[in-house]
Amino acid sequence: MDISKRSFIKFAAMQSAVTAASVLFPGIGFGAWEKMDQPSGRIEWKKTPCRFCGTGCGLLVGVTGGRAVAVKGDPNCSVNKGLACVKGYHSIQVLYGGDRIKKALVRKNGKLVEVPIKEALDLVAAKMKETIESHGKDAVAIYGSGQWSIPDGYAASKLFKGCIGTNNVEANARLCMASAVTGFLTSFGLDEPMGCYDDIDHADVFITWGNNMAEMHPVLFSRMLANRKSKGHVKIIDFATRTTRSSQASDKSILFRPQTDLAVANAICYEIIRNKWVNWEFINKHVSFHKGKTNIGYGTEDHFKFKDKAEIVDFEQFEAFLEDYTPEKAEKISGVSAMDIKFMASLYGDPDKKVTSFWCMGTNQHTRGTWINNLIYNIHLLVGKISTPGNSPFSLTGQPSACGTVREVGTLTHKLPHGVVMKEGARKMAAEIWQVPVENIDPKPTYHTIEMFRALDRGDIRFMWVQVTNPMVTLPKLKRYRNGVKKEDRFMVVSEIYPTPTYDVADVVLPSALWIEREGFFGNSERRTQHNDQIVPTPGDTMCNTWQLIEVSRRLGFKKQFPWSRETYIEDIWNEYIRFHDTPKHRMAPYKELRARSGVQWPYVNGMETKWRFNSKYDPAAKPTAPGDGFDFYGKPDHKAWIWLRPYEPAAESPDSEYPFWLNTGRVLEHWHTGSMTRRIPILHRAVPESYVEINAVDAAALGITNGTKVKIVSRRGSIVMKASINGRGRPPKGMLFVPFFDENYLINEVTLDAFCPISKQPDYKKCAVKLERV
Amino acid sequence: MEKTIYKADQNVGKIIIVFAAFCAVALPFVVFSAFSYEPKEKKPALIETQRLDFDSNGIAIFKNYAGLSMEYMEGTSTGRTLSKYYARRQYPGSPPEIPHPVDVHGIKLECLACHADGGWTQTLKRMTPATPHAEQVSCMQCHVRPVTDTLFKVTDWQSVPPPRLGRSYLPGSPPPIPHDLQMRGNCIACHVGPGTVVTIRVEHASRGNCRQCHVPDPYAESFQRE
Repeated sequence: MDISKRSFIKFAAMQSAVTAASVLFPGIGFGAWEKMDQPSGRIEWKKTPCRFCGTGCGLLVGVTGGRAVAVKGDPNCSVNKGLACVKGYHSIQVLYGGDRIKKALVRKNGKLVEVPIKEALDLVAAKMKETIESHGKDAVAIYGSGQWSIPDGYAASKLFKGCIGTNNVEANARLCMASAVTGFLTSFGLDEPMGCYDDIDHADVFITWGNNMAEMHPVLFSRMLANRKSKGHVKIIDFATRTTRSSQASDKSILFRPQTDLAVANAICYEIIRNKWVNWEFINKHVSFHKGKTNIGYGTEDHFKFKDKAEIVDFEQFEAFLEDYTPEKAEKISGVSAMDIKFMASLYGDPDKKVTSFWCMGTNQHTRGTWINNLIYNIHLLVGKISTPGNSPFSLTGQPSACGTVREVGTLTHKLPHGVVMKEGARKMAAEIWQVPVENIDPKPTYHTIEMFRALDRGDIRFMWVQVTNPMVTLPKLKRYRNGVKKEDRFMVVSEIYPTPTYDVADVVLPSALWIEREGFFGNSERRTQHNDQIVPTPGDTMCNTWQLIEVSRRLGFKKQFPWSRETYIEDIWNEYIRFHDTPKHRMAPYKELRARSGVQWPYVNGMETKWRFNSKYDPAAKPTAPGDGFDFYGKPDHKAWIWLRPYEPAAESPDSEYPFWLNTGRVLEHWHTGSMTRRIPILHRAVPESYVEINAVDAAALGITNGTKVKIVSRRGSIVMKASINGRGRPPKGMLFVPFFDENYLINEVTLDAFCPISKQPDYKKCAVKLERV
Repeated sequence: MEKTIYKADQNVGKIIIVFAAFCAVALPFVVFSAFSYEPKEKKPALIETQRLDFDSNGIAIFKNYAGLSMEYMEGTSTGRTLSKYYARRQYPGSPPEIPHPVDVHGIKLECLACHADGGWTQTLKRMTPATPHAEQVSCMQCHVRPVTDTLFKVTDWQSVPPPRLGRSYLPGSPPPIPHDLQMRGNCIACHVGPGTVVTIRVEHASRGNCRQCHVPDPYAESFQRE
């Protein structure tokens, strides 16, 4: 009797839990609860990298009855060691949005109508063929992203560069980490960080450059906090233009005026030399000095061209160049007190402290993005704090496979999976592996992202295929590019999972399989390649992006180049792709190894990961000229790392009397990029349901703006009306506004400027001039 | 005669005055302590915050246990129910949302000031549940505060039922641990004390070596001899 009474109470408790939960979460189905008696007994856990940022956390996804139902951090993954963030823990809910695109759509009489996917693929291939015949091969383009799985990007590059023969291949990573790439290439000759996340456990000092890691890379930030907590003496310095959660958790927050990080970085070098903190042994053996062009422009005009030219200089010239950047002079430019500059220099200069610098969009989305990347390397090189555990200039990425797919596969106009299209050797290698005539591969790069959309507007490009990205929210100076896409005679194919503003302008929509609905690989910020299996079935007609490309390639007559079977194509592509990187400088782990492990770092040589590149103790490719030298910066022909003389130059557009505010844009913890995924995750939407503009309290008071009132942000390009947030999560200094860009109902990129770094061609989303009006 | 009586009265008066003075001094103490009386179960529970994983650092859990008063462990006052507990989670085991107003600008310490140790929170007038992973300090990395009930788009998300309670294998035998132990390895935080949910609170809080009798059973695969 007692037992039945007890079970009755428990049944009642569960029923009330179900009822309460359904009341609290309208729209979420709890029906399955009754059907499954002991679900925890049936949950199977499978590993995958997280779908969102470039940190590359390992997750374990719990699956029952063909549905993903739970997430936990993968304790075997060295990146996150079992921890995730709120996006990661709820990431599986992105699979189950009610408006998921499950059928192909074709625009007929102005309306998108459902069609069998075969018909849509036929149309895509036919339209491509027709455009190439009428307007030439350079009239078709593909625009992908750092969320492309590695086989997606590889198939795209092979089809467009190898088979069709156009270099019209770009990815949104151009908007995200192009400056990091050119920074690495100009300073070291090889892309991607020399260090790894283990540096976080070894460092004594962290200096973050314009980087709100507490929200953007929360798991790495927690790892920094854990290091500080366990050691006690560890210091975190937040060097930024706006006060954020990261500023609060750091030991010191130093604010600088937008763009003036260039001056401060040079002043830090000046102080290091003045105080004799230079590591001469390292400098003499491993560093050479170079000067590039100055007054390099901002690329706001069509057909803008720029090519840098390196000139060898010596240390004395570097020293003389730095005379313009004494801490006092830099204080005038940057607003950072000379004392704070000296303090930062002393942290870098202290021979007993291991220093790690972190940066991401603050330095990359910068009209002098390549320069500021160079300058941070200059500081680390001057004191020799590089390529050893804890000493690390570390460029973070924002997308799960910006490194894996865009940077390593080379889905940019000038790149091939190995080397650049301009080099004959690289073209020959690609032609051989791809089984295409070498003449197919065009030796001339065509358009970088911004110029590609300008070409679409002008009509030089007529057909564009967009996969895994949402340019109709993310392009700067958006109105021009949206109007361009909408012109007659422009054909847009969009591979998507949910309706977005880019979907709205599509002529064909291909339904894509997402993340763990297909097999694939991501590559994270620390050179780690991570495999995921297909864990849940693909819904409706949805199809893996790679397979979409294969289907279209075959329709275009490239059966020989795309011969793979549906069962093994991901493995087959991996095996073909890694032939490009088969040297000790970049060897990738074999498929079997990647399947079994929670990510493997490259270069993977003799069964070992390379944690610190260029250091002969850890990197088998590093061959020092004399024994005991330790380092070999083999990326450059002189086997040295390059220090660059890069001056301060102002932003493309600075506040003036008519447009008195800086406009800064970015992300929040809960939402990822354009929010097309995270906004469909209930808890994330409920925490941050709409975008807002952060205004400094003093500015708000002067304009009579209170929290939550509507204000109009106006620039020379456009305007937007949204709610004000004063003393909210982030607090910009006086004279600056900050707007998160995740909300498609408030397209802040109507207001931003399409100026870019002339070297990397990456636009600056952090700086333009606006005025603020009460509505 | 008159004088002696007068003197005796004087003595009595003196005693009364001294007593009155004593009372005057003592009264505030009495009143103050009466108002500030706090039952022992309201006092904070956990004495240390460190990585609490039974297998690699079980000593921290035992230390915790040793530092708790019997009153705390057998405390019964709570407003929390299991349905509320699960309603704050998207699936059993997900990070619960924050059910009370927070300073969105904050990141560190503020949460842990109450949730590291549990006990009574004057501002919210309730018993605070203690976190099982107080070594993690960037709380809002995983726990967020909803500001609306709406959805951006409808969702087909389906959660699974929470583990059934009392899944003993034999009548009266100790039930196995039905949930995953990652981030939730400190039994005391959620199963003991006045801030916890009554339904999942143990009736024998004085026994400290939980995993002597309760073993993890999240997979429930039957044993097969190969």
